[in-house]
Amino acid sequence: MKKRIMSFVLAATMAVGMAGCGGKNADTSATGGSAAASTDLNVMIETAVESLDPQQATDGTSFEVIADYTDGLMQMDPDGNPVNAIAESYELSDDGLTYTFKLRQDAKWSNGTPVTAADFVFAWQRAVDPAVASEYAFMLSDIGQIVNAAEIIAGEKDKSELGVTAVDDYTLEVQLNVPVSYFLSLMYFPTFYPVNEEFFTECGDTYATSPETTLSNGAFVLDEYEPAATAFHLTKNDDYYDADRVKLTGLDYQVIQDSQTALMSYQNGDLDITLVNGDQVEQVSADPEFTTIGAGYLWYVSPNIKEVEALSNLNIRLALTNAINRVDVTSQLNDGSLPTYTAVPRDFAADFSADQEKYSAYCADDATAAVKYWEAGLKELGVDSLTLEMKVDDDDAPKKVATVLKSEWEATLPGLTVEIVTEPKKQRVQDLQEGNFELGLTRWGPDYDDPMTYLGMWYTDNSNNYGFWSNSEYDAILDECTTGNLCTELDARRTRLYDAEILVMEDAVIFPIYTAANATLVKANVTGIQFHPVALNRVFKDTVKQ
Amino acid sequence: MKKYILKRVLTSIGTLLAIILILFILMRLMPGSPFNDEKLTDDQRVALYEKYGLDDPIVIQFGRYVVNMCKGDLGVSYKISKNTPISQLIESRLPISIGIGFYAVFRGAIIGLILGVIAALKRDTILDTICTIISVIGVSVPSYVFALGLSYTMGYKWKWFPMLYDSADAFNSSIMPSIALSMFTMASIARFTRTEMIEVLGSEYMLLAESKGLSGRKLLFSHALRNALIPIITVLAPLIVDLMTGSLVVEKIFAIPGVGSLLVNAIQSNDYNVVIALSFIYSALYIAIMLVVDILYGIIDPRIRLGKEGE
Repeated sequence: MKKRIMSFVLAATMAVGMAGCGGKNADTSATGGSAAASTDLNVMIETAVESLDPQQATDGTSFEVIADYTDGLMQMDPDGNPVNAIAESYELSDDGLTYTFKLRQDAKWSNGTPVTAADFVFAWQRAVDPAVASEYAFMLSDIGQIVNAAEIIAGEKDKSELGVTAVDDYTLEVQLNVPVSYFLSLMYFPTFYPVNEEFFTECGDTYATSPETTLSNGAFVLDEYEPAATAFHLTKNDDYYDADRVKLTGLDYQVIQDSQTALMSYQNGDLDITLVNGDQVEQVSADPEFTTIGAGYLWYVSPNIKEVEALSNLNIRLALTNAINRVDVTSQLNDGSLPTYTAVPRDFAADFSADQEKYSAYCADDATAAVKYWEAGLKELGVDSLTLEMKVDDDDAPKKVATVLKSEWEATLPGLTVEIVTEPKKQRVQDLQEGNFELGLTRWGPDYDDPMTYLGMWYTDNSNNYGFWSNSEYDAILDECTTGNLCTELDARRTRLYDAEILVMEDAVIFPIYTAANATLVKANVTGIQFHPVALNRVFKDTVKQ
Repeated sequence: MKKYILKRVLTSIGTLLAIILILFILMRLMPGSPFNDEKLTDDQRVALYEKYGLDDPIVIQFGRYVVNMCKGDLGVSYKISKNTPISQLIESRLPISIGIGFYAVFRGAIIGLILGVIAALKRDTILDTICTIISVIGVSVPSYVFALGLSYTMGYKWKWFPMLYDSADAFNSSIMPSIALSMFTMASIARFTRTEMIEVLGSEYMLLAESKGLSGRKLLFSHALRNALIPIITVLAPLIVDLMTGSLVVEKIFAIPGVGSLLVNAIQSNDYNVVIALSFIYSALYIAIMLVVDILYGIIDPRIRLGKEGE
């Protein structure tokens, strides 16, 4: 009896084992064949695409992919400057208020229809249409200052009144309220990309949810995709007007959330470019393929100046910002992030913040100064100890930064206790916007290539002015630089922006900590990937894979 | 039996409706909203609420949702894949999670049963000890450790299976994740089977059956194992749902486009419709499997069936 049972057991075990073996063999042959021939670039991304609709997309991944297959009026050169794409040339009127773009006539959508000025008019009207509720509508109104954009968004005017007209098929005229010095650099931002109205109407609700409902006028064509896909593919667009420039046969995207899997897949040859997290850097930092790439994000702590008594005290704020050892924070992160002592991040907007010593009187890694401010502050408040709560996103990097900040603050400032509260990002943002916090660890990514994308935040009543700080002199400078007489005088404007920045720093409105960087591995046989801190973080048009 | 099943199905529908209502209220009570991105202005937020009907009273929203759901419309995603119908999002992902879960349960249950039976028959021998050690490891080591271990060895070192899920090669891509997921099932089933088998083997009716001169196979399968199966099925049922609804960590490690990661992303971004739809599907699956289990009891153990029929 026992023998029979044993033989049954053995047979069953073998059967299960055999199933596995069969799979193994089949797989080896399958992967072995495909890898060699193509020069598709295998790209790792951390999060899935949220939307391929250029007027609905808001995240970096979506922008990158949309730009892979769509050209706007302008594109970025390797230094991030705007150069012609669909626009063949442009003219700016003497008063700086009218741009006239001449469109190239050889640009075609992937269904064969030519790209015309009407495609831009349709797309831009969508962007400000309240019914579409595009989150980046402000790029046309507050930032781009296009005539009537603000009124249309507010529902006061019809979208047809937007200051953009198709003079003929290949001439686009744009009217601005005030001269905007960085207007051309907005033209490579996906919100301004064209959409073909006829195709859009045909697709209806399904627009930009599959390869069939997407049109390309750019370097690649989307050929495998489904919503929230973890893997998708683009192939070189042979009908692209600049097709000779594109050397890759395609782009193979893979969403990988686990950093260990990403690194092993890279080492295995499944990926050509991948992000590396701080803990893995030590392991790969000696590798010549390792590099760190500035991401343009400024991480900072926002104190609630209006509602929290202790933080309305300037000495306490100065104590907190000086007690931070930013070099220590970035060395803990170990991903190439740069310590930052300015309200505008480093390596951004023609290196606006090149001089990191500029505000060292107010913001430095200076424990001695911090203690002095701290004692003065406590005296003014009439207390000998303080407990402050800091709200932090429930993600690895912010939690790590918060832990370092807490220990530095508590070690340097006697009588201070910091409590860290972690929350999902959505909740943290809401708490900060509603003033329901004491200290908040937050970050801001640039929307356009100008210091105003940061400085604009501390304008009175701006929704991202979390500390509810208000300074009429500051507001006046910003007005002068956005809609006033400095719009066209670029050098004077830049100097005035420094005058604004110093007000933020001397009042310790925020405690800047670091400019984020991405630790990245790129295979040695891959060259020509463009990296930018603004708008399109990666561009693959010039990329070569040998 | 038919009456019993009908009654159970009707209760299940009622339960599901209650679940949707609770989910609906819970989602609205959740802090934050899908639209509190830093870049949004108040006006735009109002416009978005209006666009998706989120500014209506919750009763109206609930009514509309249930009516639409009966028509098969689960709404659209607000955030993780803007304006995409939920059904389209789930359609391709659910089969993947269910498939991997099914492999895992199947493998885990079969191997677990075998290990448990061996351990019980060879009680207190070296084989029993080995089986016990395997089950202790299976229960105590989390599945993502197995997943990482498999990914490193079979994927990275030996290149037997793809490290990243490849939809063109779904079968091979599912092997490592399903092995990783099956470990816990296997270990739990092995432990339960051993305990139950030992109890059954020592019972008087087994002694009687053996003394009647029944053959070993018949004795083991129709008397011992059959009786031992009832509690095992009770344990197995929730495990099945657990596995089929996808494991977040294992999905993350193998980059599997399943529903586990979708749900977590949806919760983090307050994507109401996705969360409700997925939780609803999970609940429905759970209820359906519990129903099947109850019916299975009747088949395995005539006493339960007779008891019901006698009512």
